Amino acid sequence: MAVGTAPRTPAAPLAGALGTRLRRFTEIAREVLRNPTTLIGAALIVGMIGMAIFAPLLIEPNTPNPYQMPRDWGALNEPPGTPGHFLGTTQQGGDVLYGVIWGARTSLRLSIIVVSITVVIGLIVGSLAGFLGGKIDELLMRLVDVFLSIPELIFALAIAAVLGPSFGNIILALAAVFWVKYARIIRGQVIHIKQNEYVDAARVIGDSDLRIYMKDVLPNSITPVVVQATLDMGNVVLIGATLSFIGLAEAGLAEWGVLVSQGQAGISAGRWWASTFPGLMVFLWALAFNLVGDGLRDILDPRTESKR
Amino acid sequence: MQIKDYVLRRMMVLPILIIGTSLIVFTLTRVGGSPVGIYLSHEMTPEEVAEIEQRYGLDQPLPVQYLTWAGGMLTGDWGWSGVAAAPVRQVFPDKLGATMELAVAAGIVAVALGIGLGTYGGARRDRLPDHLTRVFSISGAAMPIFWFGILLLIVFWVGLGWAPIGRSDADIFQSIAHPTGLYAIDAIIAVSWTAFVDAIWHLLLPAIALGFGTAAIITRMMRSSLVESMSEEYVDAARAKGLPEKLVLRRHARRNALIPTVTVIGLSFGFLLQGTVVVEIIFRWPGLGRWMADAVLRGDQATIMAYVMFTSVLFLLVNLAVDVMYAYLDRRVVLGT
Amino acid sequence: MSSHKTVTAKRLWAIFLAMTMIVAACTGTTTDSTEGDTPTTAGDGDGATTTAGEPSDTTAPSTGGVTNPDTFVHAADDEPTSLDPAQVEAGEGGETVILQVYDRLVEFSPDGPDLVPGIAAEVPSVENGGISEDGTVYTFTIREGVVDHEDNPVDATDVKYSWDRVLTMDLPESNVGLLADTVASTEAPDATTFVVTLNQPNAAFLNSVVTQSVASIMSEEFVEFNGGYEAGTPNEYIATNPVGTGPYVFDTWNRGENMLFTVNENYWGTPANLDLRIEIVPDPDVRVLGVRAGDFDTIETDPSFVGDVEGAEGVTVFQGEFLLEPIHIGFNLNYPVDELPAEDTIPADFFYDPMIRQAFNHAFDYEAFIQGALGGFGAPTPFYLPQGVLGYSEDLPVYTQDLAMAEQLFRDAGVWDEGFSVSVIAEGGNLFEIAALVLKDSLEGLNPNFTVNVLALAEAQFDEAHASDPIPYAMWVKNADPFADPHAFQSEYMDPEGNWGQVHGMANGYQDPETISSMIDEASVITDPAEREAIYHELSAMFYDDPMWIIAGNEVAVMAYRDWVQGFVMNPLWPRPSLKFALFDKG
Repeated sequence: MAVGTAPRTPAAPLAGALGTRLRRFTEIAREVLRNPTTLIGAALIVGMIGMAIFAPLLIEPNTPNPYQMPRDWGALNEPPGTPGHFLGTTQQGGDVLYGVIWGARTSLRLSIIVVSITVVIGLIVGSLAGFLGGKIDELLMRLVDVFLSIPELIFALAIAAVLGPSFGNIILALAAVFWVKYARIIRGQVIHIKQNEYVDAARVIGDSDLRIYMKDVLPNSITPVVVQATLDMGNVVLIGATLSFIGLAEAGLAEWGVLVSQGQAGISAGRWWASTFPGLMVFLWALAFNLVGDGLRDILDPRTESKR
Repeated sequence: MQIKDYVLRRMMVLPILIIGTSLIVFTLTRVGGSPVGIYLSHEMTPEEVAEIEQRYGLDQPLPVQYLTWAGGMLTGDWGWSGVAAAPVRQVFPDKLGATMELAVAAGIVAVALGIGLGTYGGARRDRLPDHLTRVFSISGAAMPIFWFGILLLIVFWVGLGWAPIGRSDADIFQSIAHPTGLYAIDAIIAVSWTAFVDAIWHLLLPAIALGFGTAAIITRMMRSSLVESMSEEYVDAARAKGLPEKLVLRRHARRNALIPTVTVIGLSFGFLLQGTVVVEIIFRWPGLGRWMADAVLRGDQATIMAYVMFTSVLFLLVNLAVDVMYAYLDRRVVLGT
Repeated sequence: MSSHKTVTAKRLWAIFLAMTMIVAACTGTTTDSTEGDTPTTAGDGDGATTTAGEPSDTTAPSTGGVTNPDTFVHAADDEPTSLDPAQVEAGEGGETVILQVYDRLVEFSPDGPDLVPGIAAEVPSVENGGISEDGTVYTFTIREGVVDHEDNPVDATDVKYSWDRVLTMDLPESNVGLLADTVASTEAPDATTFVVTLNQPNAAFLNSVVTQSVASIMSEEFVEFNGGYEAGTPNEYIATNPVGTGPYVFDTWNRGENMLFTVNENYWGTPANLDLRIEIVPDPDVRVLGVRAGDFDTIETDPSFVGDVEGAEGVTVFQGEFLLEPIHIGFNLNYPVDELPAEDTIPADFFYDPMIRQAFNHAFDYEAFIQGALGGFGAPTPFYLPQGVLGYSEDLPVYTQDLAMAEQLFRDAGVWDEGFSVSVIAEGGNLFEIAALVLKDSLEGLNPNFTVNVLALAEAQFDEAHASDPIPYAMWVKNADPFADPHAFQSEYMDPEGNWGQVHGMANGYQDPETISSMIDEASVITDPAEREAIYHELSAMFYDDPMWIIAGNEVAVMAYRDWVQGFVMNPLWPRPSLKFALFDKG
């Protein structure tokens, strides 16, 4: 008899839930646009992601690999305003403007890949721990604790160092460090919801654990995960750029941290431009996602909501 | 009593975490192959490489290598640093002193700035100063330390020529004894005004660069807890008693706002610690962070392992200390539940 | 209210103190224990600690506009790894220190390749009876009254002891082969006589063995007091605390920061004028600003930033000879194809085809590397006869960029349409990485189907790959080791039976490896320089048609120094940075 009820129940409430969710989404969007700092952040994000997406239209891509800096070995260390090199060149003749624009694409790639991987890992580990509980929970959470006991930049630095300098290895290193928070968030949500009455109610109706998970746990975990993911879109680029600044990206990559590092070698001779512009981009990128992430947290966090 | 139980429970987990960390660190450094590379010169034959591997015990099976390494970490033999050309343990204290001096100075900058600005902004909620502190606190969290440091150098080192680089003037540094390893403190002990000025002068820019991000975190926490505690009942009660707003702020609101802020200060220690890597590279500060960066770039595994182990144990201890202190300061955490 | 604990600002500081105390505990105890463990040397006792607590009057900023008037300050670009002559690698930073702190029996004079006496009272020659008629026995008369920095006397037995020590320790990283390959036996029949018997006559013995770091002299007392020596085991104490007889006394090594030396007042020769400080400054920008501001007197100078110091007030840029260390890119004809990086698409015999190697050579943008990266301080180099070596001539063929020719050759070799992907490894963050990037840009600019992946590795990873046989990469960038004699270059880098010839499997590529090998051998035993040159010229033309390297360029030695440095002299035969600081003064 439980088999009979199962297919009937989801249709109606699910459509309803979707409706509420949609409504909630527009509500959130309106809130976001109302807060000036969040709005600035959102505008910055749109601008920079636009720059990343339309990079090939903004500046001619380097062949064969557009993620490599184009190097003009006859025009090293040219100051900004040089014809053809609007923001000047690096000590390797790399066009700083190219690095700024394609660096946005590199950063977008980096942050999307790392955030997706870490959300998925966090989701799996957190759900397993929360749902199964007991020994497995204990084990997984101890693992999380161990990962948290090494400061994240130092951990990522050590991993990237061992794997060798390359962009792919920076992705791996960041993924290894960033999943932990999601695992914690999701485990917390799972346990919280498991204790809730409506889950018990669902159990009584005869829903399977998987269905409960899909219907109740997952949708309810989305809010904190979205906030964290937004913040991490910025943090990943910040730490990724720090790693490549230290020297762990591959040679000649069009990436902001690499350019800052190259530019640093020339500052004593007055060549400020090669590090200033790309560094500014890292700052703006992280700032934008922090502003929006913060705004989202204020809007979505029920605690702050109730206090208003 | 309950605090004691809490501390005991936390203490018991500590060794497990440390062993776990050590396993991760060891496994990690062996993923990339043998750590022998740093001890080689580029013109060696494979036979000579084997000789070097034998010298450092790298021809042993991995579990044996782990036990040797872990045992060494406990007994004070931390391996040979290829980068520093000395046993890790021998170079460690001086570098630690330099790094801690920087971290403490940055901590002072961050706490002073953070609590000051947080109070200033929080007490003027939704007015211009509040908005400005918010901008500061958010931009601080987003600021790439490596870029901020370079900007400071471009302006104050290259442009104006005011700021020095490095930790000290070599002659002045040599002229005093160094019982604590913290240059500024040593200068006070040696009663040398010249050395003290030299120490502070060198500390200033790197401490600002390093403390900036932490100051932002503290500002934000201070502001929001102040705003929160300003609206609590007992503050209202104090106001009702006719206490001037300034006193209300100082005696009641700020005191309570400091409790969560203290936690944030403690937890931001890890943030400071990892920031030293970047700041030390940029300002040529002869500490652990710069050593670690060199080790990373040159593949010096012994140094990397010792540094990561030390940092995480320190990080764990500080976090524990903060949690315990927090539990002690805010009894509700333990007693209330 | 009372249960509601409040926090005062004081508490906050207490937390900070708590944190620092954890650390202070570590720092404090460790400092004590290391001090306790450190062996103190025989004659020591008053050296290191006397400076402590003295009034800091050393700050007097300037005398006649000279910064640090009493100390010579050199900015080096990296930290030494060992200061022990028995352990130091050739060309490594430790040689800089060993040159100043230790003496050898004879030394190169400041003016060039002439020899001057060191611990030996005179340079042995056949005329003065120091070299036997058959050229196998060298007799050195040792100076009397020489003492080391701890007042231990140094005589002929100490000379023998020093050489025996190096030979017994036989450390793989050192240059001990120089001694081991030439010396049959040593004797010290009395305190002033040291006799060396060679395996076979060797006209270069004094120049290429006795003057080298590995042949430095130390006192037996000093070594024995600090643990003696043992086969295959480095002496950690001596590696970090050199005590020699040279013009400078080693004082302190602040790792990552600087090394301090004081004048050896008891030096047997002319004592140094100024104390010495070697600053360890890997960042070029700090070195550049330092010499411009007058904080550094000489800086390790890289051609790529000469432009940043040239013309600066108070700075002179010395331009010397060629470095004899051409930067080259190796073709590996012996790589295990399964172990190549995953991106590589080349077959095992890719570089067997001389046309492909020629095409690479024609494609490389020499102009970009020499005029761009080297700032014009370099020149193309023929195979394998660098400028300054016997046999070098401007008429020898060198490759220049010729893209049409490169394209034709790639087409003829049948790889143009399909393209290929190859990885090249280099140590990151220096000229080698830049040479690799120039190669990448040259080839990828020629044909978008060509991919060159530049892998900028950490030094340790590069050294490990470079030391393996076979090397698991198809191409790598590094500089050649400097040699004074053309045969060394030929046998090391071109001979299919030589060191790199075997590792790289050059026999797989050469049309006629036996002939090349026998010609190289033949040239080495000919005594007539003109005849020798003729063979090297013939070989060079053959190598041009069948290149085993891309020689990106040979650097010129450059050194930026303050105008106030008096008596500046640089001899490339002295180890890097080719300076003897004891000869300098400031004013």
